[in-house]
Amino acid sequence: MKTQEEIYQYYGTHLKGALAELEEKRKALAKKIILSMAIGIGACIFIAIILGPAIIFLFPFAVIIVLLIAFLIGRSDLGKTYALEFKTRIIQEIIRFIDPGLIYSNKSYIAEPVFMLSDIFKTHPDRYGGDDLVRGAIGETGIEFCELHAEYKTETTDSHGHRRTEWHTIFKGLFIMANFNKNFNGKTIVLPDVAERFFGGFGKMLQGWNMARPELIKLEDPEFEQLFAVYGTDQVEARYILSTSLMERITNFKKKTGKKISLSFVGSKIFIAIPYAENLFEPRLFRTIIDFEPIKKYFDDLQLAMGVVEDLNLNTRIWNKQ
Amino acid sequence: MLIIILILLVIPLFIGLIIYNSLIAKKNQVANVFGTLDALLKKRYDLIPNLVAAVKGYAEHEKGVLTEITELRSRAVSGQAKGDEAAAQDNKMTQLLGKIMITVENYPDLKANENFLKLQGSLNEIEEQISAGRRAYNAAVTEFNNAVEMFPTSIVASLFGHKQKRLFEINQTERENPNIKNVMKG
Repeated sequence: MKTQEEIYQYYGTHLKGALAELEEKRKALAKKIILSMAIGIGACIFIAIILGPAIIFLFPFAVIIVLLIAFLIGRSDLGKTYALEFKTRIIQEIIRFIDPGLIYSNKSYIAEPVFMLSDIFKTHPDRYGGDDLVRGAIGETGIEFCELHAEYKTETTDSHGHRRTEWHTIFKGLFIMANFNKNFNGKTIVLPDVAERFFGGFGKMLQGWNMARPELIKLEDPEFEQLFAVYGTDQVEARYILSTSLMERITNFKKKTGKKISLSFVGSKIFIAIPYAENLFEPRLFRTIIDFEPIKKYFDDLQLAMGVVEDLNLNTRIWNKQ
Repeated sequence: MLIIILILLVIPLFIGLIIYNSLIAKKNQVANVFGTLDALLKKRYDLIPNLVAAVKGYAEHEKGVLTEITELRSRAVSGQAKGDEAAAQDNKMTQLLGKIMITVENYPDLKANENFLKLQGSLNEIEEQISAGRRAYNAAVTEFNNAVEMFPTSIVASLFGHKQKRLFEINQTERENPNIKNVMKG
């Protein structure tokens, strides 16, 4: 793990040059988008003048068209090369700086069957994607993480017979998979606790009735119990995995992320899902990138994921599993 | 009128039945976890002859502890001890094994022995599993005890003579932080 000073120093010596070059491309791209939007808006105003006040009804369409132009340019080859170059020159370098043993590939992501295997999420995604896969070993622990977005769709038909498809997010954020340092056969799932926080003891009873999940496991750590609901196929094995020290470490890790994290232990692996609202490891477009603030954010997000090994003490190998 | 009386009779009976069933389920959960814990303890006892054999060749001076462990094992495996006594035996074993693991530090040859390292790994693993088993057992017992003591399940419990069960307690010496100096002296 790198300290804030080390990161700042690295930013000054290694990243600033590349950022300055990329800044030119960013500016060109941003200019293009703004110009296209201006032309679009100009065209709309021109049409409005010709058509008169009736245009007011077309106003929402105009807004959509203008935004679409911006979006398409952002997604065009120009936008893509900018993002790609940014990732290879900046994100990859940052990862290499944190740990040279890690491999980064900006287009890959953890496959859907693995995501479903973790059993954190029950809904099968209809649309699944991601990027920014980092893979390697930290100490003795193999780890893989990436950004994921999994969605399912619902289709409704209204009274006029119009079909409407809506997409709902199952999970969006950072998904981490690492080798766990103990062997086990069953499944243990640690989910953020919603019921208990609001309903106390009654909530606990509700958790017990969750049919989609295996048995509820009640653990001794009151703080951990407040934050999580644990389900597992084996009462003893779940406690073997969730030792008192690991519960404390998970509690601290949850506090560190400040997010509703979920974990699962399946097939001698640990899976962690950390939801994020924003896209991770993406470059800014309308603001300068020669700035330490976003760089620090990339570092923090990456170190959070890699820190799992240390935070959860996964490198301790005093058991038979090597 | 008759219907009302019938309903008044049936409803408490039905509730009683649910409570009774939940009590039995909790009691069986205790028995179930105890079974797992027992299996884990057996697994540990099975490892002991190998451990003794491995340590013997290297650590001549630890004969005392080794004999103690062997004796304790044969007593435990013969299966006379029940309940509290079994718990006491288990605690004693944990303590003795801990002692051995610390004294081994004095024997670099032994520490480098591949066989011994594997055994040590297995023992650490089983110890951790046993501690998980104890916690699971205590959780099941607590749940059962709560049901026995709390209203309204307590009524049904006393009706059928269900008594509170004892927790698997760790004895005083184990609860203290291990004092390495003392262990070395012993």
